[in-house]
Amino acid sequence: MDLETALSRPVPLDRCEEILREVLLGRRAELRKSWRHFISSEGLGALGSLAKEVESFLSGQNTLRDWRFAASFAWVNCDATFQDCLYAIALAGKVEYELSDTSPPPLLPRDLNKLSRTERMEVLCDRYRCPLNIGLPGESEVAEEILRQMMVQDRAKLEAGAEFDVDMVLLKLNLAGVRALMTRDLRYLDALNYFYELPRRSLTRMRANPRFLASWLCIYAQLLCTLDW
Amino acid sequence: MRVAVIAGSISGGFRIAREVETLAGVELFVVICNVGKRSPLLRWSRELLSALKSLSWWTLTTKACSYARRGRLIILHRPLDDATSIERLGALRCDVGLHAANVIYREPTISSFRLGILNAHIGILPKYRGRCVVEWSVLHGDPTGVTVFFIDSGIDTGDRIVLREFIPSNRWKSAGALKKMLFGCDGRLYRKAVEALMQPGVQLEENDISKGHRYYVMSKMFKHIINKKLTDRGNLA
Repeated sequence: MDLETALSRPVPLDRCEEILREVLLGRRAELRKSWRHFISSEGLGALGSLAKEVESFLSGQNTLRDWRFAASFAWVNCDATFQDCLYAIALAGKVEYELSDTSPPPLLPRDLNKLSRTERMEVLCDRYRCPLNIGLPGESEVAEEILRQMMVQDRAKLEAGAEFDVDMVLLKLNLAGVRALMTRDLRYLDALNYFYELPRRSLTRMRANPRFLASWLCIYAQLLCTLDW
Repeated sequence: MRVAVIAGSISGGFRIAREVETLAGVELFVVICNVGKRSPLLRWSRELLSALKSLSWWTLTTKACSYARRGRLIILHRPLDDATSIERLGALRCDVGLHAANVIYREPTISSFRLGILNAHIGILPKYRGRCVVEWSVLHGDPTGVTVFFIDSGIDTGDRIVLREFIPSNRWKSAGALKKMLFGCDGRLYRKAVEALMQPGVQLEENDISKGHRYYVMSKMFKHIINKKLTDRGNLA
């Protein structure tokens, strides 16, 4: 039997690039003004030497770096800490990395989910010490699991105003953001859109981790001025 | 072929039944399940309200009585995955179930039907699984439509596709209206799917999930883009 019924044919639709670009830049302009509602002055102070850079990055002109080149690597090693690497990416800076011939054994979502909350944080921060690795094709299963958790369980908790794990949610938002920068997958960008649009009361609770919060907003700012989706 | 419509309300069940009952060789049952474990009072007042809203309450009542008299209207008081409900479904010895209830099916419920339970998914499989797939298809400039497939306990991962129909979106000016139209195609497409399954040597397509993605609820920002896109196109048309 022919699967497609006789009367229907695919209708080619043009992409919404122009509208998308306009709307993303509009959100970037909004973020330029509103980011101070998310990061308090105490939070900014907690960033130490990074505070000025974060402030000028979020308030300043559009800055971005094209990270897609890294998606073709097998695996990347770096000497810097997870936080330092994350900030280098978030602020569109330079990441000092070395290409590796071998990648670590695959991380299966079911194994990740068996771990305790602390172990899961450790495993993710260790595996993605250079966060560019989350954008590699071989990491798509973990990335999909992170996206699923964000958009199903975490979203439901935040929408209901229930308790949520601030550090873990922010870690996932950062990793999802890096994946979006590298793969241009609109689903990951939209997950960040969705969380940005959540009620302010939920988002202000994220101030508990100003470092992850600031890096997430900087990555989001880069995504909003990325034009080639 | 013995077919059961699994519905969350009497009006919803008979909306589908109306399309399928005239098919030659089909023995049709309507199973009404208690979605959300509602109390009897709440459940029946909702039924009454939806019957009155449909403006065809008399037709609906006579139809329901006719099905009940022939033992073809089954009202489940317990959740669908409860052992007693599964036993009642199994006793019907149906070949196919037609999904029309807002429930998630577990394996024992699915196995109560010889071939399984069909779902009319308002997206093109295997590319678009999950939620807001109409909006995501429009955003990516892909065709919209409905896929009828046999479900499993995952999210649109059931591996047998019976049919898919591409339905153009360019007449519709909002995502809401477009989705409502696509949801409304379920009865007609279930009829086509059942007809196809009765054909000897029917070939089903594999739903290869590696060829698509799971999608999630869409942000207000992206929904705005979709509606703007549909409005612009509608105005041009």
